[in-house]
Amino acid sequence: MIYKTFQIKTLFYLLPAVFIFLTFNVIPGLTSLVLSFFDFTGFETNLFRKFVGIDNFIKIYEDKYFWIALKNTFLFVFGAVFIQTGIALILSIFIFFGNFKFSILVRSIIFFPCVLAPVSVGLVWKKILEQDGVLNSILGLDYSYLSSVSLVMWLIIMVNTWQWIGYNLVIYYAGLQSMNIELLEASDIDGANWSQKIFSIIIPLLWPTTILNMILNLIGGFRAFDIVYVLTRGGPAHYSEVLASYLYYYSFSAGGPNKMGVGAAVAFVIFACILTIAVARIIVSKRIRREN
Amino acid sequence: METNKINNYGASFKRSPIFYIITRIVVLFFIIIIIFPLLYTLSLSVRSPETVYSARYFLIPYEFSFANYIDAFVNAEQKLKVSFPRMFLNSAVVTSLSVTLIISMSIFAAFAFSHLRFPLKESLYNVMIASVAMPAQVLLIPLFYILIYLGIINTYQAVILAYAGFLIPIGILILRMFYEQIPYELTEAGTVDGASDFQLLMKVLLPLAKPAIATCVILLFLDTWNEFIYAMIFMQDPTIHTVPVGLAKIGTSRYQVNIGTYSASVMITIIPVMIIFAVFQRWFIAGMTMGALKH
Repeated sequence: MIYKTFQIKTLFYLLPAVFIFLTFNVIPGLTSLVLSFFDFTGFETNLFRKFVGIDNFIKIYEDKYFWIALKNTFLFVFGAVFIQTGIALILSIFIFFGNFKFSILVRSIIFFPCVLAPVSVGLVWKKILEQDGVLNSILGLDYSYLSSVSLVMWLIIMVNTWQWIGYNLVIYYAGLQSMNIELLEASDIDGANWSQKIFSIIIPLLWPTTILNMILNLIGGFRAFDIVYVLTRGGPAHYSEVLASYLYYYSFSAGGPNKMGVGAAVAFVIFACILTIAVARIIVSKRIRREN
Repeated sequence: METNKINNYGASFKRSPIFYIITRIVVLFFIIIIIFPLLYTLSLSVRSPETVYSARYFLIPYEFSFANYIDAFVNAEQKLKVSFPRMFLNSAVVTSLSVTLIISMSIFAAFAFSHLRFPLKESLYNVMIASVAMPAQVLLIPLFYILIYLGIINTYQAVILAYAGFLIPIGILILRMFYEQIPYELTEAGTVDGASDFQLLMKVLLPLAKPAIATCVILLFLDTWNEFIYAMIFMQDPTIHTVPVGLAKIGTSRYQVNIGTYSASVMITIIPVMIIFAVFQRWFIAGMTMGALKH
């Protein structure tokens, strides 16, 4: 600290950023929670005119598509947290210890989709998965993948994994590069084979990186919107809706009900999910610290 | 250097032929999975419109042509009233202004967080950390009305301010962490020599913070260039659509377009990013890895 006390001139450093942050992040965030108790459409000027209590929440509670969206969101998050992280873990170990000549090129190729817009990625895959797309002609099938109720969510998860796996991969790679190698050398002397090393030494040592990747994918999973929007628009018949796209459908979609209050209630649910996870994370990490 | 390190502790990995073969098969499989969709789309886009449907399942087109790209430009303008040059201009304006705004404010605010005292400092910082985990959609509805009240909906400012509010915590987090890693002796020496806090920031901290600022630029560039939902809802006028919004409109429109035109439209948005990535790939990978570690 340069100064022992608070100086007025500190405000000049702080205020622009804090002003923008409060006006366009904190205040809208809190307003969103309040708005979920009001009924209003996109054309109203006074949003707080019609207080409806928990009607908006009752409305989504009774809507079967809300439960589908909630289930799909959790499925999507599950896919991102476990499947995507798992594949990235194995892949990073294979690339790191595989002694590849072009290891940097390999990583760059797998990483590349991360820098693309999810919209572009979704549209690339959309044509591949369509009924007259290339996947059917490779497999010799005639199947409409994106209109299959049971399959569609898994395909969205697959496309999302395709895009983001490289992100987890490079984070794991950084973890591997800073790994303590003494244990590995010791296990070499003890004659451990490669699978024993991977499962008994490397994966346990990478545990902090795994946690980091899981948290990143968890946060990213709740954000998913773009990929659902371009691939299916929540279809067929709302069966691939996630919470974010359900919010969009209720509040902004041209053919939707234009009920902003219900959209705010959905935002409340998303907010509550993230908050629960954040609190759980703090409690768990405190408990771990106490045990140590 | 990297390979030497691996050789030191990879003895049983190198000895095992099974491991060698498995890694080759798995990694090759993933590379094909990653490359194929992009290469396939590229291949469709460079065929002449007549041969797009014939023999379309081979990656190498037998009649090269850029006609699909011309069709993509024409189709976008005539049927959907969006134009690719305009979309790129809009995205460039929004991205460059948001990134500049966020970084210039974060440079100062992060300094206040790291080197100055003010009330509620850590509480405010915790709110910022928490807000990084919040999905953008939570703010969507109130932001929409705030921007209407301010009279800036459907202008560049709408999206720039929304991005600034949403992404400023990332800039502050990264820069604060970096400022605090700079040895205390350096700033102390500065104050002993009579430097003001402003001089300290400008002459001592900022020159050292270049890598951190580069990380911020990369992360913020990707977040704003690729952002979709704010850009779609806050700028509904087709003349100010950004690249993802315009592309989504083209890709999900009910007008049936030739698959060659469709692929060319998608490739127009991918190729510039591909070129930038090819040039700056190390910075992108390092930047995104560093950005992830802030959590």
